[in-house]
Amino acid sequence: MNASRTDAEAVRPARAAPTVSEPSPAPRRLPESVWALALLAPSLLLLASLFLYPLSLSIRSAFTERGGDGGTGNFGRAFDLYGGDIVFSGAVACLTVAIADILAIAIAGYLTLGRNQTAVAWLRWLYRWPLFIPFVVAAQMMRSFLAKNGLMNNAIVGLGLLEPTQTVGFLDWRGVIVTFVWKQLPFVTLIVAGAMASLDRSMIEAARNLGAGRLRVLIEIVVPQIRGPLVVASVLTFVTLMSVLSVPMMINAGSPTMITVDMAYRITSLSDYGTANALGVISYLMTAAVAWLYLRQGIRRDGVPP
Amino acid sequence: MIRKLSMLMASAMLLALPAAPGSAQTTLNVATAGDQNMVDYINDYLGPKFEAANPGVSVVAVGTGPGDSGSLKIFEKLDAQAKAGVEAWDVDVAVVHQRGAAQMLASDLLAKYRDEIATGKLVTRDTADNALGADVGGYVMPMFHSQIAIAYNPAIVPNPPKTYEELVKWVADNPGQFGYNGIKGGMSGVGFVMGWVEAMTGESEKLEKGPYDPALKAKIEEALAAMKPFNAGVTMTPGNAGTLDMLNRGEITMGPVWVDMFYTWVADGKMSPEIKLAIIGPGLPGQPMYYIIPAKAASQDLARKFVELATSPEVQAEGIVKRFNWYPGIDAPHVQSQLDEATWAKLFTDVTPDDLATKGKPFPLSDYFTEILETYERVAN
Amino acid sequence: MTRALAWIPRGIVLGLLAFAIFGPIANLVLWAFAERWFWPHALPSQYGFEFWGRVFSERGRAWNSLGTSVAIALLTVAVSLAISAPAGYALARLKVPLRALMMLAFLLPQAFPNLPIYMNVARVFYWIGLNGTILGVVLVHSLHGLVLSVWIAAAAFASVDRSLEEAARNIGAGPLRTFFTVSLPLAAPGIMASAVFVFLESLDEFTGTYFVGVPDVMTLPLLMFNASMGGNYQIAAITALILLIPSVAFMLVIERFLKADVIAKIGG
Repeated sequence: MNASRTDAEAVRPARAAPTVSEPSPAPRRLPESVWALALLAPSLLLLASLFLYPLSLSIRSAFTERGGDGGTGNFGRAFDLYGGDIVFSGAVACLTVAIADILAIAIAGYLTLGRNQTAVAWLRWLYRWPLFIPFVVAAQMMRSFLAKNGLMNNAIVGLGLLEPTQTVGFLDWRGVIVTFVWKQLPFVTLIVAGAMASLDRSMIEAARNLGAGRLRVLIEIVVPQIRGPLVVASVLTFVTLMSVLSVPMMINAGSPTMITVDMAYRITSLSDYGTANALGVISYLMTAAVAWLYLRQGIRRDGVPP
Repeated sequence: MIRKLSMLMASAMLLALPAAPGSAQTTLNVATAGDQNMVDYINDYLGPKFEAANPGVSVVAVGTGPGDSGSLKIFEKLDAQAKAGVEAWDVDVAVVHQRGAAQMLASDLLAKYRDEIATGKLVTRDTADNALGADVGGYVMPMFHSQIAIAYNPAIVPNPPKTYEELVKWVADNPGQFGYNGIKGGMSGVGFVMGWVEAMTGESEKLEKGPYDPALKAKIEEALAAMKPFNAGVTMTPGNAGTLDMLNRGEITMGPVWVDMFYTWVADGKMSPEIKLAIIGPGLPGQPMYYIIPAKAASQDLARKFVELATSPEVQAEGIVKRFNWYPGIDAPHVQSQLDEATWAKLFTDVTPDDLATKGKPFPLSDYFTEILETYERVAN
Repeated sequence: MTRALAWIPRGIVLGLLAFAIFGPIANLVLWAFAERWFWPHALPSQYGFEFWGRVFSERGRAWNSLGTSVAIALLTVAVSLAISAPAGYALARLKVPLRALMMLAFLLPQAFPNLPIYMNVARVFYWIGLNGTILGVVLVHSLHGLVLSVWIAAAAFASVDRSLEEAARNIGAGPLRTFFTVSLPLAAPGIMASAVFVFLESLDEFTGTYFVGVPDVMTLPLLMFNASMGGNYQIAAITALILLIPSVAFMLVIERFLKADVIAKIGG
């Protein structure tokens, strides 16, 4: 880099600028960081006003009781009324992530280690479809697909596997998990498959040459190496799930339900920002633990965000 | 490429300009709480009728959603404008629930218009003056009265339970067959819960007429605690429409529904005409929805004309009763004279006027209402 | 023979996967064209375009909602790009003070569930009169889009060959000119990709609009949600199909560009 600079300087036509022998361009560095801040200012402003400020507002509101003084009354009410839902939300999100991870590893594993190229091509084409389908639309589809007399059960009955009276509607926590997994699986698979594809194949080849079965290679060699991207995808999925409103509202009518529904109910029916924000803070804490993992992975040394 | 982008952005800006009608036109903004059928009523029937009678006016309807949350949204809009000191508000007429109207009146957001319109005298029912304990006389006109009833499939349930007690036994014997939408999905579920409390505490008089007695709290809690095991044996549905939908698809065989929504669904082909209705004892609530005119609505005169048209006997007969299957907002005799026997009788096929008189009840007083909802969340969920 | 036999387990698994993925989509298509569908029939008893007529009728809200959704999405892209391109360039090329903190700041929105944030943004907007306006919704969508587009812009600018920029500077171009004539065009493909992502995300966005836009701003996802909750499955299915079109189109186009190693860099 230095070499090219001196060459360039030799070629550069004489300017009003100081000569080559001038000391290191200290005066030029200040404008650069000022420039940098100026360019970053609009985004930082948007971030501060539409994210950081509402975030602080939500925390403050969570600790402001009905009379206006501070206190933890809202949290008391939140746990009292929605304690079950809080546990439910955490459980559903974790279960979804676990299932999505396993299926993603299976699919990505086949894509990487599969021998039959036609099957691999088909799989690669198939699994991506739900990726760009929004949650609202997925919820609508699943609502009639998973119903007691919906298309899924009708197909099963049509194949003779069940009697019509035996069909079970999935419109509860199972439907929520199914919809979440359906929507998030391509995302996790994409990241995992990408990570697997960029692995050094020589290790895999070596293991296969020694006679290891493909499943063993997957579990003992491939998966440990893609742990990083897998964790990132899992955490992103968890955070996303804790924020989805449409799916639980449209699919899971009963109780318990995700706390997003409770938050929306508190706001739209009762204007009770205190309790709603208390629930919000609880969801932050739940994702904070998970997100901390992501942030550790996230900032790489060269500064380019993943 | 950059040039193409800029042109794209420029056209986007133009597109984003609100699709405002031409300057020669006045817009009448109507906001309505409630299910989609409320918006349809204005878009498909009342709006065009008003526009035909008042050339140069265009009626724009906005729905804010079912249940009290829909009315709350309208309240918040008006409240925000009042607090900001806006002189001409952007809602001219609104249709809200009883609690919403009382809330708005308490914040001085309503215009007292009933005595200024010709149809104001056509309603003498208690509900035109009393909204769950709040005095709203002069500020509201009932748009319609509705009633909750239990819809059931007679092919599967030839002898439906006739009281709440019988229902509890029936649900124990037939788990999963009864469905309702809880208290978050819409008012039919809320009404069912209110009916439960009145039946189990036996305190209908106090709950409906007051005065508010905090000692009743314990009884309410006891009644709702008994609802928890009941809820374990029912199917929760996603909303007023959800109950109807699941009934239609055979996923439940019984559930509380709004009578008008039920008949509209049958007429639309969305519900099998085999399904029947019944009101279980001691009773199920019904409610009016009110036309209100915000105090600083932009088009005060047009708004009054609109409500006058909406509560005229002709419109009540043809629109409210015939097309949308609601019970009229103004007094029945004015409307009955406008319809033929058969159409009038249709309203009362399964639920007779007698049933309505004995088992059709108002919702409990506001304070009890809130208490019951909160207690339900605590003990019955 | 063994080759054919080996296809049986493969076929079953692929078949099940295809059913799991396309079954719900097929269900949507069926509902869009069903006029009468009662239990216990497994399929609609009457097909037709009746509901398409209703959805696109003059008073039908679909045209309005479609226009609103597209307008908001385009504005969101404009705002996001205008803000994130400079920010990405700064992060990639300039000396940014407190760089680590800045990076953290941009990662933060991804780390918090956004529903509670939207609830409170709506409250703030309600105080300043932005609730229920198109501008309000565009701002909310832009924040969501910003997080994504800053990352991608930074990566795009970082991948531009520095020597090209230096060459331009060396022959006398000022920094601004270099940016517009060298850096931006070379980073454009990446930035265009982020523009498409932001467009799609805005078009499909539901939660933020639910709090900030209702009741005046009716986007297509909100219309679909209302129709679904109101039991109007046909209308919900039709609006859902309309929403699917840009997504599917994007899917088909991106098929060609989605390379595994590129994906590995995202999030890894």
